[in-house]
Amino acid sequence: MQPLANVTPLKPAARAGAIEVKNVGQVFKTRSQDVVALEDVSLEVKPGRFVVLVGPSGCGKSTLLMMMAGLRQQTSGTITISGAPILQPDPDRVGVVFQEASLFPWLTAEDNVEFPLALRGVPKAERRAKAQDALKLVGLEGFGRRHPHELSGGMKQRVSIARGLVQDPPVLLMDEPFAALDEQTRMTMGDELLRIWAATGKTVVFVTHSLTEAVYLADEVIVMSARPGRIVDHLQVQLPRPRTYEMLSGDAFGTLRDRIWRHIRKSA
Amino acid sequence: MSAKISAKMSAKTLRYLIVIGLIALWELLPRAGLIPELFLPSLSSTLIAGWTDAAEYGHALAVTLYEVVVSMAFACGGGILLGAIVGSLPRPRILIMPMVSSLYAVPLVILYPVFTVWLGIGSESKIAFASIYGFLPTMLATAAGIQTIDPQLLLAARSMGATLSQRLVRVIIPAAIPTVLSGLRVGGALVIVGVVVSEMLISSAGIGYLISRYRTILDSAHVFAGVLLVLFLAIGFNAVIRWIERKAAIWQTGTRAGQANDDVASGAMQPAT
Repeated sequence: MQPLANVTPLKPAARAGAIEVKNVGQVFKTRSQDVVALEDVSLEVKPGRFVVLVGPSGCGKSTLLMMMAGLRQQTSGTITISGAPILQPDPDRVGVVFQEASLFPWLTAEDNVEFPLALRGVPKAERRAKAQDALKLVGLEGFGRRHPHELSGGMKQRVSIARGLVQDPPVLLMDEPFAALDEQTRMTMGDELLRIWAATGKTVVFVTHSLTEAVYLADEVIVMSARPGRIVDHLQVQLPRPRTYEMLSGDAFGTLRDRIWRHIRKSA
Repeated sequence: MSAKISAKMSAKTLRYLIVIGLIALWELLPRAGLIPELFLPSLSSTLIAGWTDAAEYGHALAVTLYEVVVSMAFACGGGILLGAIVGSLPRPRILIMPMVSSLYAVPLVILYPVFTVWLGIGSESKIAFASIYGFLPTMLATAAGIQTIDPQLLLAARSMGATLSQRLVRVIIPAAIPTVLSGLRVGGALVIVGVVVSEMLISSAGIGYLISRYRTILDSAHVFAGVLLVLFLAIGFNAVIRWIERKAAIWQTGTRAGQANDDVASGAMQPAT
């Protein structure tokens, strides 16, 4: 055990939740040509921050997120999470929430939340207890026995978030999680997500198409350009928390949103 | 609500009434002399014919059941296995699918005489024929079921650290169950058809053989007794499949009910959005 400790220079606990993306590129090879999806992307996310990625369609923001999740390999560069490179999905370090709730329709809500624990052979009683805690956190106490088809779109995404949090990873990656929801539900879910984030202190990387959603949720907004995907701006959102609906019509909010929109219009 | 229930009840009662009416007609029409007994023997004489030769019919049923069960094991087991392989791997799919699809359009019964040459007129040729007959739809349905699995589900499973075998057991198989079951329903029904038809063509035992033999001596009552047995066999098979469907694919029927339940999901559960 002793030599192992010597080889690892970083204390993972101290860097838990930190994300470092260094010179990452992604090239898709097609039969006729190579398409550069991402070019020399570097960014750093400090633990506990809420970072939103925005950009026009095809800027590679989802691709970048999938690489952070270990679901896709970059062509060049490195990605480290909690101080260690991410080479494959690691549910201990990273939870992922997808656009469509992607819940297993044959399982109840609680069985869906328990799924990642069941994969690792966690005993039933412990699984159930953790799933109950996670469902309670997302405001779905008492809905555990329902199947996904018995839940509304917003509730499904809550289950999905609970599933992403159930192993208590320091990082939560969210790929346009509210894109399929109607506007009202989307607003409510945004507030809910901020509440959950504040309660858990996770690092969140959130991909969205909506500029309003981006500014409303984020500590930092990272703006990407269309193919090849590059980072063109990195804004700090200084609006106080908790965020309120009234801020949406304020000047500070409008200025930030305009700045992002100008970038996107330029590159689209 | 109560109007809905009573409408449902009356539809069910109506169905029963139709069946009872048909049974009554079966008894009454030949008795009244409106249909010659040669074309349609009355229900009672059919039952009596079956009862008096119960041993013979029992033996025939045992032979037919044995052939059906063995053929179903081959057809369903092989169909699910090969369908899973073809559905999940693109290379064999490109190779095999076009062949299987065109083979499915061929009336396979033309192969049956060949099977009797190869395997004799005993159970083996029936089993071989019925197995192939039921195998094709089972395999096609399984392949389709696996191909149409939502890739998001597999991606989500992967993000949670699922290994390849965990993805197979915990995602692919449960997600494919509804389509596989509908394949089994068609495949299993074709197995029964295959066994009975092959028994009627060239054979020395089984219900199909009895039907065919009594037909040549124009003993309609005994023919219809055999027909009744095949009917019960098919109804029994259907009941078994339905039972499996209820057990295994609750979520699928749930999805259908879920569409009607949408207002419940968005209305009554509003507080949690």
